Amino acid sequence: MKFMVIVKASAESEAGKMPAPDLFEAMGKFNEQMIDAGVMVASEGLMESRKGFRLRFSKGKHTLIDGPFAETKELIAGFWIIDVKNRDEAIAWMRKYPFTEGEELEVRKVWEAADWENAGAPDIVIEEDARLGAKETAQK
Amino acid sequence: MRYMIIVLEGDGATAGPPTPEMIAAMGRLNKEMLDAGVLLAMEGLHPGKSATRVTFTGKRRKVTDGPFTEAKEMIGGFWIIEARDKDEVMAWVDKIPFENGEQVEIRRVAEAEEFERNEVTAEALDMEHAFHAEHVKPLKG
Repeated sequence: MKFMVIVKASAESEAGKMPAPDLFEAMGKFNEQMIDAGVMVASEGLMESRKGFRLRFSKGKHTLIDGPFAETKELIAGFWIIDVKNRDEAIAWMRKYPFTEGEELEVRKVWEAADWENAGAPDIVIEEDARLGAKETAQK
Repeated sequence: MRYMIIVLEGDGATAGPPTPEMIAAMGRLNKEMLDAGVLLAMEGLHPGKSATRVTFTGKRRKVTDGPFTEAKEMIGGFWIIEARDKDEVMAWVDKIPFENGEQVEIRRVAEAEEFERNEVTAEALDMEHAFHAEHVKPLKG
């Protein structure tokens, strides 16, 4: 069962600062544990929102809004995709993360083949998703 | 350069699943990205009401279940694509079949090469680089 774990931004991440050495090392060790346990599917950090932008869609018109964006607590700084037995296992892993300063992780379930079928997705989407899922599993 | 295209959902509490028509339209865009060899990853997320948050204070962990009614922008899903520059990303983003005030946020994905290597970071960066070398490849349709 795949979950996305979202790391919310902070003043430091938005300033493009690296984590302090101790924390950086602990984060590295945590990632290594997840890889060794075979639960890590993906892990990425995002550059500060100043280097990003948003697009709002309306019929026939797109509005471009350049970063940075003020709502730091709602911005993403990074994420993992993990593959575990269930939500409890996802949370058990994430409780071990070496954060201590009021940081927040958000755990979200990822749509998988059975979900697409239940939502009445057309066959081509279910097949496409299954093919991509097989590719991801093969790459693990 | 890698870019993450994040679909923002306006109302954290009430955003629902996509309609079959939207799923089909997205499927067509995804196929185009796959055929062009630019798609590195994509996922749809279950709505915020089934989300869980973990907050870390010292050694304490607080686990809270959604919905998170104060959240103005929950994430609905994302793509990660490889693109030469902002213009190329924009060309892809323009094709997203949204029409009703939806927003996407585009962010640069950090590359291990751009971090400073020193005694503290080297091991973690090496491991990240090795993981990426094995797992980050264009998806094929």
